[in-house]
This record gives sequence, structure tokens and C-alpha cells, in this order.
Amino acid sequence: MGLSSAAITTSSEALKFCIFDLRRGQHEGEELEKILFFFPADLPFPAQLSVIGLSEGLITFTRIFSPEAACEVIEAELHSHVFFEAEPDIWMVMVVAKSKETEAIWRIEALRSVLKEIHSLFIMFHGSIRVLLDKEPGGGLTRSHLFTFIMDYLNDFLMGNKFVLPNFRDSLKQRGTVQMLTVGREAAIEVQSLVGALDSCMGHTSGYSVILFQDLLVSTTLTPDDTTNLFSYATSRLTPRVLSSGGSSTWSYLRKGNAELASRSANIGSGLDGFRIVRPLQHGKWSKGKDGFLVTDIWGVEVGNLVPTTPTLWLQQTEHKMYLCAYQHKSLTIILLIPVTSMLNGEEGISMLKQQLLENASAKIVKVEEKLAKGWGGENAYHVKGYRYLLVDGDRNISRASPPGKVTTLTKESLLAINKVREDVDLEKSRGNGNNDEKDLEICIRAKNNAWVIARSTRGKELYIVLEKANETLLYASEAIEKFSDRYCNGAFSLD
Amino acid sequence: MASDSSSASSSSDEEEESAGQKPNVDVNINSIDNSLDAIENQLSSIALNTPIDERTLPSTDYHQEPVSEIDDGSSRESASEMRRNSIGESSSSRGSGLWRNNLGVEVEVEPEADGELSSPSSSGYAGERGSSSSPTSACGTDVVRELRDNGSSIGDDGVVPLDPSQTQWIRGKQHADEDDGSISWRKRKKHFFVLSHSGKPIYSRYGDEHKLAGFSATLQAIISFVENGGDRVKLVRAGNHQVVFLVKGPIYLVCISCTEEPYESLRGQLELLYGQMILILTRSIDKCFEKNSKFDMTPLLGGTDAVFSSLIHSFSWNPATFLHAYTCLPLAYTTRQTASAILQDVADTGVLFAILMCKNKVISLVGLQKASLHPDDMLLLANFVITSESFSPICLPRYNSMAFLYAYVHYLDVDTIQIEAVLAKSNVLNEVERSLSEGGMRIEDLPVDPSANSGSLFHLTHRKTPTNGTVTGVGGPAGLWHFIYRSIYLDQYVSSEFASPISHPHQQKRLYRAYQRLYASMHDKGVGPHKTQFRRDENYVLLCWVTQDFELYAAFDPLADKGVAIRICNRVCQWVKDVENEIFLLGATPFSW
Repeated sequence: MGLSSAAITTSSEALKFCIFDLRRGQHEGEELEKILFFFPADLPFPAQLSVIGLSEGLITFTRIFSPEAACEVIEAELHSHVFFEAEPDIWMVMVVAKSKETEAIWRIEALRSVLKEIHSLFIMFHGSIRVLLDKEPGGGLTRSHLFTFIMDYLNDFLMGNKFVLPNFRDSLKQRGTVQMLTVGREAAIEVQSLVGALDSCMGHTSGYSVILFQDLLVSTTLTPDDTTNLFSYATSRLTPRVLSSGGSSTWSYLRKGNAELASRSANIGSGLDGFRIVRPLQHGKWSKGKDGFLVTDIWGVEVGNLVPTTPTLWLQQTEHKMYLCAYQHKSLTIILLIPVTSMLNGEEGISMLKQQLLENASAKIVKVEEKLAKGWGGENAYHVKGYRYLLVDGDRNISRASPPGKVTTLTKESLLAINKVREDVDLEKSRGNGNNDEKDLEICIRAKNNAWVIARSTRGKELYIVLEKANETLLYASEAIEKFSDRYCNGAFSLD
Repeated sequence: MASDSSSASSSSDEEEESAGQKPNVDVNINSIDNSLDAIENQLSSIALNTPIDERTLPSTDYHQEPVSEIDDGSSRESASEMRRNSIGESSSSRGSGLWRNNLGVEVEVEPEADGELSSPSSSGYAGERGSSSSPTSACGTDVVRELRDNGSSIGDDGVVPLDPSQTQWIRGKQHADEDDGSISWRKRKKHFFVLSHSGKPIYSRYGDEHKLAGFSATLQAIISFVENGGDRVKLVRAGNHQVVFLVKGPIYLVCISCTEEPYESLRGQLELLYGQMILILTRSIDKCFEKNSKFDMTPLLGGTDAVFSSLIHSFSWNPATFLHAYTCLPLAYTTRQTASAILQDVADTGVLFAILMCKNKVISLVGLQKASLHPDDMLLLANFVITSESFSPICLPRYNSMAFLYAYVHYLDVDTIQIEAVLAKSNVLNEVERSLSEGGMRIEDLPVDPSANSGSLFHLTHRKTPTNGTVTGVGGPAGLWHFIYRSIYLDQYVSSEFASPISHPHQQKRLYRAYQRLYASMHDKGVGPHKTQFRRDENYVLLCWVTQDFELYAAFDPLADKGVAIRICNRVCQWVKDVENEIFLLGATPFSW
């Protein structure tokens, strides 16, 4: 306990994070009602209220001039305050300390994408915050859910006793996008046939399937938004890489600390300690069963026979509640989502479905895995010699980037410069207001350290490139981009 | 003067640092309880705006307002510029006559101009515009002398809003009837506020300061709220709006803008605004706040609205406001030498600086060996002199040792008359007039043959004096539209004349903003300065090149070819070097900042 609270205190100076509801606590003396989540939870209430008071004040103030888009960020000398209106009148605000020494140099949009991800994952598992609040106006239920969920989420950023949020070193990454596996024609046909087989396993239930190879998406029948959410869940909790590193030691004692904090938080509410809180992001809770299906007791265990309850989640657009059923064969992970309403016999139906999958699809699964494994170039498969790049397709929510191991070879100066250029493009995009697709932008900078730092944006696609060992002329750099565009982007960024 | 201000500013730095070094956590937690009530009050004053806000939200009326009403007056600006241009045309024919009349005849000139231009809204201050040549006694015993031509009556180039301050001046304060409840006020594109640390309004670009007391208190609340947390607020972003804060001791400056200018530029503009205020009142204003934190500064700045609105207007047309460099009127080398010699004679009599300017352009500048005049100070001084009379704040100790008074000083001494006579006799004035009418560097004159040394701007045979007061080119080779060249060791820049693709003031303003962004990006504090930048969007191709000696900013047609554009930039640099003794003031005074 002593250890964990010390850890939380150290990190609290670097990070504050709150969620509040402007519709609550309107009367004097009831201000605490507004707070739905606050990290660090042990910060005294007046200090918590001061963060929320400032945020609320500036939301109101900025609406005087900008009624359609209220406060998005406060930049102070020592801190950045990042705002995100997750749902109408429900705001998430993250306050991060800035420091050159500790490399705490941020890109606001990268931090905001963390907030967005937290919210969309929360909705996927628990539904919208407003609905939860309406269900239980006291707020205790919502607070407990948010607390456990976000603490589990933040654990991913914990290194020792310090939060390492995405900083300038992550400039060539795009959170909230899907990374795809490139497959050959032959393999694609096999995958297609597997998708068909999975479909028929699910029968008339109108379920969905998602197939991943390693941490890359192979196929999906979900909408892009739901795919993105499920993809980020799968790659952080389900894929073979995650499962094999599952019980690592860095977070274990902290998890314990958080669990204690979580129960404290439940007490903060209206004394609802009795109800069970599902913690879908809890670490080390997923494992691969003997039959190849992934199991977890996160959603509880059936009384008597100790069979874990099948996980459920919500689809964003249709708001349908779905059973989640995951199967893994070597590097291949297959996720099936089946509407709860169409499974009249519940768990029994799920085990029948699993049986069907083993009988009718496992041969195809083995074949596809073999094909993909054969064609797979390893973790540096998408490295392009001489280039450090990030390619984002905003319309399809897809990104591809240089492998992290290669990006780390860049100098700090180059990374800071590309971070700035990305900020610049973020601003230009936010100015576009609606006609973003039309925004055609090209920025080529030769930085102080002679690296070329390049951004191209056209028709919803963005390309960022750092060339450290390039010739000094602008024409050379442009040519390098043309080559890259022709070869890897189907000429999307080529000028002619 | 120089030493005074530098010591004053360093002491303010110390103040700022010590304020910034407050142990944040302790202060935060201990003061929370105490300040919570204050916060309530502060934030409730923010909340006061809510009902108004909600009322305006669903309203669709303002969407139907004419654009000119809600646009920050830029269309109006252009309208008045056009009016002014037409005056420039009609009066250019008698321009030479006016040069002689600096002292005596201004009364004859002004009524005519006033008759055309004054509107019911023009302040009483405008009526006082009088002398066209006024040695200014500024700030204490050091005398800065400024010879100012009567800009509005000299042949105008008709395209560039060369003397927009004049229009601003006549207009004085705009929309004084508005306040934060007015929809039109809320929709203005760029607000500037100055307030005291107790929340008292000192200046607002739009609206009546007194009516904005509540709004001002809100701004103060935000700043002090963050300060109480041991931090200092710099910027708030909301949609297309930015709120930029600058704290200068007891004086708070805030800009609220949706003009897409980068934070660094807006902050730089607040610095200049503060500098302008200090130019008028000196830093001793801080002492007034030390004595009485509720001190009301507005009376001290009475009648200076025009100075500030002119400065703010210059933020959208004068590159000096972000380049931190000054520009010269193009003149034959010998002419400038003559002018310098004349000024030198003046300087011999113990003057710290002497500047001869034509509108915002320097003809010559001389100063004492050790003294240095920062380009920003020149900008502020020129703005002050152009927009206002030579009023100086002074204190008469026997009258009231705590009070500022304004002194109007105009020496009608032998020197003044002599300088004028000498300038006229030496042909400098004629040359100045010629330069004004012929314009500076026109991109269509860019020598395309790299071997050709053009040598001089003034001996090109095909240059013709425009007959109608407008210099409109067709654009340069390879789609070159415009360039700015800044010499680093001279602290000077030269800007080409505008060609037809950007002949409209709106287009020019947009280009300046693009340059501003480019400048801010190249000189980023964290990672800059960069060496080269190529930037293409739907409006321009922009090329920037920063070396140890110079910076070049060039704008091309958005479809311009990269390779050709680079070649053209090299030509431009060569051309500037060829004619540098005509466009720059070379080796006049050693500057040592």
C-alpha cells in the first residue's frame, strides 16, 4: 500500500485527469456532484474542484466567441490542459506537466486521441456515460465504472512509477487507427473463404467476424468505428504477443494498489459497494484454453460449474449488445461477435457455436495461418530503407508506419521537428472545417540538423516522412517522396 | 533612454521569474480554501455571460447581417483605403508643392483632407492633427527627432495601403457603442484588451472600456486563477479562436482572435502593444500600481486610441511587426548619403538618434556610437509620430508630483527650418518623391538573365512613372508573386511591390498572414531555426530560406514548379545584392544589440 500510494503521488504532479458533467452540481455546495472521475483520486477535493472550476470557466468563456467549438486546450507555462467533450456536457480534461528534461513535450492531438480512445472503449463495454447516469442518478455506479476502467487503461502507460504518455517520440504513430496486413492474392482468397466459413458458423445470427494476424488486421465485417475499437482492445489484451507477456511484473503491484483505490472509489459513491464491476481492461485476465478459445473470468463465473461467463460488448452504431468469442491458432486471432438477442439459450448457444467453429472452420484456419505466416516478413516487414514514415488514411481509419525499432534510430531533433510539423498539419486540418478532404498541403522543411521533415496531406490521406541521410537539395527530397508515393501509396501523393 | 528602459525591463524579468517560481503545490493547496470563494466570484462573473450567450445561440438573425458588420471591418478598411487612394490620386499632382509647406501650409492641406474624410465618428483628436514636421521630444531628456512627411498628400502608389495609419487615425476608435453583450462585438475577428491586474479595463480595440468592466474582470479572473495554481496561462484554443495572454507586471494584455495567425505572432503583437503603451507612459506606470493596485490608467491614455488602432492595423500589413527589422525607402546611394550627411549635422548637436523617415520607410538614420535603436522601437516610434501629435507625458513636481501631464512640444527653431531648407535644396526631397511614385522592387523587373547585373533600380529604361498613381504588375517570372528579403546583420528588410495576383488589400493581408506562419514555423523556439521550407497549399507556394546572412520569403502561384521556383529565388537574392546600396541603409551606424 505504501509503495503504491507513493507511486501515485509522484505521478500526480505530472498528470491530472478528470471527467465531469456540467449538468450536475449546479447549486452551491453541490459542486462535488459534477466530478465523475478524478485522477489522482487522493487529491483533496478543493484541489479537484479548482481544476474543474477552471475548465468549466473556460468552456463558458470561450463559448462567448466560439459557440460551436468551446475550449479545446489551455497552454500554460508549465502545463497543457487538453479538453474533449466526450458526450454533450460531459467533459474529459487531462492536465499534463511540460518538461524538456523529462521529454514531456506533447502534441495536443496525440493526447486528445488518448481521451477519445478511453471514451470509445468505455462505451464499447459499458455504454454511454449519460445512459449510466440516467440509470442511476446518484452517480456512484458511473463513478465506479469509470474509475476501474480508466485506472486499468492508464496502467498501460505506467513505466515504473511514472506515466509515459505519447510524446514527441511517438510522432510517427497514429492512435485510434488500424494497422493492416498486406496479403497476396492467393492468401486473400483463402481469407475470404475463411470469412465465409465463419459466417456460416454463426448461421442466421447476423454476427460479425474480425481476423488478426499478429497485431495486424487481416479481415473485418464490422463498421470502421467498431473495427477500430475492437482492434485496439484486441492488440492490447488478446493477441499472442500480449498473452505471452501477460503476467509481467511491472504493473502487478500497482494493479493491487489500484484495486484498493478502486474499492475506495466505490465507497465515495453512494455506498453501492455491493454491485460487481466488470473490468474488461484488467491485465493478465485473458488466457488461451486447451480448445484454442480465449477465456477470461472478467465477466464473472457461472455459479456452480466455474465456467466463465462469455464477455459482452456494445456496437457503437447499432447499439446492439454482442457476445465476444475469440479463438487463437498460433499467430492468428479470430474474433466473433454474436448478438445477445439472437442467442436465446445464452451460454449454451455459445458453446454450440464454438463446437461448430472447431468442426467446420479449423482446417481453413490452419491453412490461412500457414499462408500468412509464410508470406510474413517479420516485425520489420514494412520498413522502407532510408525512410521513416507514417501513412494515415483518415477515411478508412488505417495507418502504416516505420517499425518502432527503426523510428528510434532518429535523432531527437528530427523527432521534435516532425512533431512540430504534425502540430502544424493538425491546426490546418482543424481550420478546414468540413472540407478537409479538399485540403491539399505540402510542407518540406530542412531542419537545423539537416534532416528533411516532410508532410503531405491530400484527399483525406496524410503522409509524414523524415529523411536523415538525404542530399541537401529540396528537389532531391521531393523526388524521394514521389518515389515513396508511387511505390507504397499508389501514387496518392504524386504530383502528376 | 536606452539604458533606462533596459534596466527597467530586466527588473521586470526578475519579477516574472520570481512569480513563476512559486512552489506550486503548496501554494495551490493552501490557497485553495481561501481562494475558493474568490474563484466562485470570479467564475460566477464568467457565468454571468451564460444567459446572454444562450440567448444568442439559437438566434439566426446575425447570420443575415451584412458581412461587413461582422467582419473585423476589413472590408470597411478597404473601402476607406479606396477612398483615400482616390484622394491620393487627385492630390499627387501638387505633391511637390507640399514638400515646401511642411511648417506653414499644413492648415491649408488639412481642411481639404478632412473635408473628404472625416466622418461623424472621427474623434476630436483628429481635429488636432496639424504639423507635418515635428521634432518629437520623447521620454525625458533624450531627444529623438523625427521628420515626418505629410503622407496622405504625397502621390500614393495606389495599390499598397502604404499609409493605412492615416485612415485609422481619422477613424479613431471603432464601434465604441458595443460591449460584450453585442453579437457584432462577439463576432469581431480580432480583439485586443489591456487591463490592470486588478481587472480594470485600460484599452479595448472594440467597444467602450467602461462597459467592458465585467468582461475585463473575467479575463483577470482567468489569469489570476491559473497564477494561483503556480502556473501562467499563455494560450487558450477553441475552434478557430485563440485567446493569447501576456502578463507584464501589473498590466495584462489579451488578444482574442480567429485570424489563423500563429500564437507566436499574436504574442509578439501583444508585446508591441505593451511597448507602445510604455513608449507613451514609460515604465514608471508600474509605480502607480504599486502605490494603488486599483489605479485607473485610462485617463493617462486619453486620446491615444488612434495610436493603438493604427498599430493594431499595422499587424496585418506591416512585415516589420513580425520580422523585427525595418525597411528603407529605395534611393540612389548618393541621395541617401546626402540625407545622412544632413542628419549627421543635426546629430552633432548632442542628439541621441536622428531618423529621417517617409511614412514607415527610413530614408536615413544616424545615432551616437554606442547607442542602438531596436527596429521594434523604431516601429513604435514611427507609429506614434505618424498617428499623433508630439505629446509627451511629463510631470511637473511643484504642480503635482504624482500626476502625469501631457506636454505638447514643437521647436520652431532655426535648426528645423535649416534642415528642411537643406533637404529641399539638396534634391533629397525630389528623389524621395520620385522613389515613392516609382515604387520599389517590382518582381516583373527581376533580371531573368543571371549574368545581367541590373546595378540600379533607377536606371531601367523601361520603368515608367505611373500616371494614375497605381503600380500594378502582372507578376514575376515562373509565377513569382511577391518576396521579402531580410538582411540579418543590417536588421533591415526589403519587400517587393505587389503584383496583380495579390493587388487587393484582402489578398495582401492573407499573404502577410501566410508569411507570419512561415516565419513562426521557421523560427520555432523549440526546434528552430530551420534552414529551408517549401510549403504549398491551395493559395500559394511559399519558399523560405534562412542563412546566417539573410532570410528570403517568397510567394509563388500555387501551381509553380518547384525547380524553377528555386532558381527564381536565387535570382532574387542576386538582384537584392546588386541593388543593395539603394534599398538598404549601409554602414551608417554600428548597431550593437
